[in-house]
Amino acid sequence: MQKYLTQSHDRIFENNRVWAEEQKKKNPEFFAKLKEGQSPDYLWIGCSDSRIPAEAITGLGPGEMFIHRNIANLVCNVDLNVMSVVNYAVRHLKVKHIVVCGHYGCGGVKAAMTPKDMGLLNPWLRNIRDVYRLHESELDKIEDEEKRYDRLVELNVVEQCRNVVKTAALQTSYKENGYPIVHGWVFGFHDGRLVDLKIDFEGMLKGIQKLYNLTD
Amino acid sequence: MGSFADAIDRIVAGNRVFAHDTAEQDPKYFSKLSEGQWPDILWIGCADSRVPETTICNCKPGEIFVHRNIANCVHPHDVNTSAVVQYSVGVVKVKKVVVCGHTMCGGANHSLTDDDLGETLNTWLHPMRELRRKHKSELDALPDNNARSARVAELNVQSSLNVLREHPAIKQAVNERGLTLHGMIFDITSGQLRLLDEGGSKKSNGLWSPN
Repeated sequence: MQKYLTQSHDRIFENNRVWAEEQKKKNPEFFAKLKEGQSPDYLWIGCSDSRIPAEAITGLGPGEMFIHRNIANLVCNVDLNVMSVVNYAVRHLKVKHIVVCGHYGCGGVKAAMTPKDMGLLNPWLRNIRDVYRLHESELDKIEDEEKRYDRLVELNVVEQCRNVVKTAALQTSYKENGYPIVHGWVFGFHDGRLVDLKIDFEGMLKGIQKLYNLTD
Repeated sequence: MGSFADAIDRIVAGNRVFAHDTAEQDPKYFSKLSEGQWPDILWIGCADSRVPETTICNCKPGEIFVHRNIANCVHPHDVNTSAVVQYSVGVVKVKKVVVCGHTMCGGANHSLTDDDLGETLNTWLHPMRELRRKHKSELDALPDNNARSARVAELNVQSSLNVLREHPAIKQAVNERGLTLHGMIFDITSGQLRLLDEGGSKKSNGLWSPN
């Protein structure tokens, strides 16, 4: 096995070996510190798209950001997968910030609006059509198709932020500790920069608690 | 409140540095990125902050399609993971699917006991705790809990691969275009990735190995 690996053009393992050696050279204590555990400040909920590695585009190293990535950065209330991530990040790791990050030109968002039976993707992508329906009159007025998709990407991020705020973990922790705070961002491929949608977190929390309050 | 804002300032500034440096190194980089994605790999890994796939594999944006959840579990009825697999294998057409677990994994550690983590996490980790019960004698023989946790992480990777092999998009891609599946463990204490053997039935193939 070892012989095989050293002989093959095994890019991922070769890359990983180079990376591990570089870290040790830069900081001999690097891995000893990682071993002790993680206490990230951030939970990132982003798209699975290969072009948005969260830690790389924010300049963070290993140990700094807890990361969940799925198709079109959705936070669905019946999805045990994302709910477990939010739960663990908020209740066990006590992250201070939750960033929901979408991106312009999202293939998932486009696929969701395509009139086609996509099998197992249908129930997942349906959530994006629901976001469209919530903002139908605004979106229908945008004539340029790309711009309409870009706006849908932004509105989807805001809606997913709202879904994070609806969770018991978020509401309880914020009431007790004053954190985490939820942020909605969008990544643009044309310049590699993050755009802050500047959601009003406090206002959003108050707004949803009329119907979705889960705190005593 | 002050320090909270600083944490956000820090990653916003980090992003500006990334955007600036990347464009300086390759002025066409972002216009190429806008054209689309053609990743070779779907990576199913842990949400743990210490295992950022693109960084530890020294890869660039655009190379790895990613799903990360608590303890890199693939459960058969999980719509989230299923959608990721369906899209990456059926639409994006990745060539390799990697499930990567890691040592010192919180999910694996918590699977060594039945401690109450709350209803949501107890439910999510239930299959991993079942693995522990199923392999009790093997795990009991190991020297300490770090070793047990590492072994549970391995068993969980194998179990996730077994679930993936039954996914309709994967079955089709394996038959029609030779998609391959790979299990790995990232060793937090050394920073090294290790490929898991396929139970001795077939010699494992690494990624990007010559055909």
